[in-house]
Amino acid sequence: MSSSSQSSAERSIVELIGVTKRYEQGEVVIHANDGVDLKIDKGEFTALVGPSGSGKTTTLNLIGALDVADEGSIFVEGRELSRLSATELSTLRRDRIGFVFQAYNLIPVLTAYENAEFVLALQGVPLEVRKKRVLEVLAAVGLEGRENRRPDELSGGQQQRVAIARAIAPKPAIVLADEPTANVDSHTAETLLDIMENLNREFGVTFLFSTHDERVMARARRIVRMMDGRIAGEDLRSSGDTA
Amino acid sequence: MLWKMAWRNLWRHRRRTFINLGSVAFGVWLTITAVGLGDYSYLRTINDSARMGFGHVTVQPEGYQASPSLEKRISDTNNTLSRVLEIDGVDHGVVRIIGQSMLASASKTVGGAFIAVDPSLETPEVNLFIRALKRGEMFSGTAGREAVIGSLMAEKLNLDLGKKLVLTAVDKNGEVVSELFRVKGIFKTSVTEVDSSTLLVPIDRIRKTLGYGADEATMISAYVEDYRKSRSVRDLISASVAPQGAEVATWRETQSELASLSDVDRGMNVLFLALLGVLISAGILNTSLMSVLERKQEFGMMLAVGMRPAQLAGMVLTESFFIGALGLCIGSLLCAPWIYYLLEVGLDMSSMMGTDYSAGGVLIDPILHIELYWQTILITIVGLLVLSMGAALYPAVSAARIPPIDVIKKVA
Repeated sequence: MSSSSQSSAERSIVELIGVTKRYEQGEVVIHANDGVDLKIDKGEFTALVGPSGSGKTTTLNLIGALDVADEGSIFVEGRELSRLSATELSTLRRDRIGFVFQAYNLIPVLTAYENAEFVLALQGVPLEVRKKRVLEVLAAVGLEGRENRRPDELSGGQQQRVAIARAIAPKPAIVLADEPTANVDSHTAETLLDIMENLNREFGVTFLFSTHDERVMARARRIVRMMDGRIAGEDLRSSGDTA
Repeated sequence: MLWKMAWRNLWRHRRRTFINLGSVAFGVWLTITAVGLGDYSYLRTINDSARMGFGHVTVQPEGYQASPSLEKRISDTNNTLSRVLEIDGVDHGVVRIIGQSMLASASKTVGGAFIAVDPSLETPEVNLFIRALKRGEMFSGTAGREAVIGSLMAEKLNLDLGKKLVLTAVDKNGEVVSELFRVKGIFKTSVTEVDSSTLLVPIDRIRKTLGYGADEATMISAYVEDYRKSRSVRDLISASVAPQGAEVATWRETQSELASLSDVDRGMNVLFLALLGVLISAGILNTSLMSVLERKQEFGMMLAVGMRPAQLAGMVLTESFFIGALGLCIGSLLCAPWIYYLLEVGLDMSSMMGTDYSAGGVLIDPILHIELYWQTILITIVGLLVLSMGAALYPAVSAARIPPIDVIKKVA
């Protein structure tokens, strides 16, 4: 391996090579991913865009080890997912991947603090370390003073901030965000994007979105366009560009 | 954190949780009541039966159990009794001669069983007939010609206090012998077959009549402080104390009809408790499964962010453990006054069973009390916890097997 390809591999957090995923709906076979090649480097703020059914969420699910590819290889931090056991995949998701879902998916019986603490607790991080980190991330997403509120006492935007805090608390290699702004109003969406952009710039957190939202596309520094399960093209922008 | 989540999850559907807690608490009440009443009834019946003659453990001549006969006897009874009384768990012991006889008054003759006793060894605690004396008194000597007879026998033979009766039996050599007695007392146990065919007579007088030696008898009856230890006491007596040519039997062997009746009753009780367990489990399974299905998306998310399936199953089982433990506490608290009432006052069933209901020749007390052994309490606690958690096993495994992708999947 040459030194340039080695440094490229080191930079790369996620790499998809010829990934295919098919779903069967009755007698119809849907190619949700059809030979997808994609590489995400550390520190990227990238959006997967495309119409409904183009394969964005499937791509995120495959990278997040929530689903298994029919063909091709997926590498996360150099580890090929198909070679990992169910327990190793679970550990990978817990320790190296952060998830932000469209529907927030917070645990309703836990407070904002406890939701943000959840993955750290699963990791067995000591209480004191956990407390420091959780307060830090809640402050980073602007939720100081609301630590003890339960999800039903928070607005949609606040709930999504808790979800972001939960995703970044364990310091994952990448945060996969599936339509994170779909359920909030435009002002809240801008605020959430500010937060995520700030986390990306200040702390180097890598974000990969799937989105239809023009506002997300406007903030993304790289846009990967998907169509019919394939990569249809991509745009790269400098950090100062706007849509 | 999993304990905290499990506890809080219980209160998401308060009404459902209260119904589950109620069913476990009701299970505690019903189990303690059914088992406690049953244990009291066995204790009372078995002890009463023992007091009527054989004791909890009986030392008797070899072959006597299969074919009782006055020709069979054991010797060295006083020495053996002393050694039996030294055995751990034995409360009391008596030497007796029990046999069949013909009893005749001036007007009539009936068949009956005599129990020859030493009145100095007999106390109301071990001799039901002394407790059941209605008229007259117990004889005091061992060599006199006095008898205590059942009330129905007195009626049949037209006897009263001070009247004479003749006892005819077969002696140790198979010869027919007779002895004259005078009625000293009349007892009434309210068990027809006992009151019409039993009499107590002094042991040395009968020894002389039957040609027995001064230390010979047909049995030594031992009374055990807890009838459930009868078998171990029998084994101890059998191994170290019983004289040559003797066999040792527990109440189950000497009172086989009573043992069968109590076994059937116990079996019915176990069946009833098993059905109760199935009902409680079905209730918990139903609500636990419903609660898992409602939270599929939540569980899918937990698995997606790295929770282990075993941790998730553990959380669901912990919720059920809390239901079981809390239900046990509530059930125990609610049960306490009821148990106190049954212990101190008892449940009067005389309007339903009458005052002279008997089974296996033993009078059944119409006032139902409760007997609580620590084993009963332990089995109830462990049983209900196991039931609660066992019922949640399938929902827990179902939760752990939820594929996260299925609940958060969306082809975009």
